[in-house]
Amino acid sequence: MKLENNYYKLISMHHEGLSSRFHIALRKECDVYIGHFPGDPVSPGACNIQTIKECAEQLTGKELRISTIRQCRLTAVVTPVVCPELDVIINLQSLEQGYAVTARIIDAEKTYMEYKGEMTV
Amino acid sequence: MKNEDIKKLIPQRDPILMVDKLLEADSSKSLTSLTVRADNYFIGEDGKLEESGLIEHIAQSASAFAGYMAVEKGATEPPVGYIGEIRKFCCYHRPRVGDELVTTIIIGAEVGGVTSINGESRVQGKLMAETQMKIYIRP
Repeated sequence: MKLENNYYKLISMHHEGLSSRFHIALRKECDVYIGHFPGDPVSPGACNIQTIKECAEQLTGKELRISTIRQCRLTAVVTPVVCPELDVIINLQSLEQGYAVTARIIDAEKTYMEYKGEMTV
Repeated sequence: MKNEDIKKLIPQRDPILMVDKLLEADSSKSLTSLTVRADNYFIGEDGKLEESGLIEHIAQSASAFAGYMAVEKGATEPPVGYIGEIRKFCCYHRPRVGDELVTTIIIGAEVGGVTSINGESRVQGKLMAETQMKIYIRP
């Protein structure tokens, strides 16, 4: 699975100090909404976690595995209608085996996800 | 219950239906299964399920358990559940195409429509992943 150009499209990316901001658009025509849920499109939390992983992979240029998630709070419902464009803000810290990943998914209105975990190379 | 149609218990449908069967359930614990197929939405390029697929499977397993209890109480539509929080997720191994995941959900406290669960997923007894979650069931 690759979510880029399927579940989301990357509009832009830039670095802000120690963080990187990926501005993405959710694709409302993505097949996932046929099943989640029929007639009631809601973006799966698991897809947003996978989006964070893909952004972290793009930053590191490496394939990563999610070894642990310390905490991931899903603070508002994401849909391609309510929040068609989102910012994924990622901070990576190198560890012996990979990276400590802190991420947030936000738009101008709200925070949708707060994520802390480790990814291994 | 073994023959209960999973579609009566959870509202998810293909291509993101991530539970095949509810195998067992009592008041605090359930067992669900999923056979990983090549066309699973969460298959990685290496032919194994992505970690996010394990998370979605555990969340839908908890949703199937909630759906089972709702149907027992007379509900006609499966309730819609959302993940509110994931804590202490650990992935040890990722299942391959053909593997059957069996997942145990243990239900904890419910506060204001948010239920805490513990989930662990195994393939032939070998632990693949475990996590705690809070699941919000839409009334």
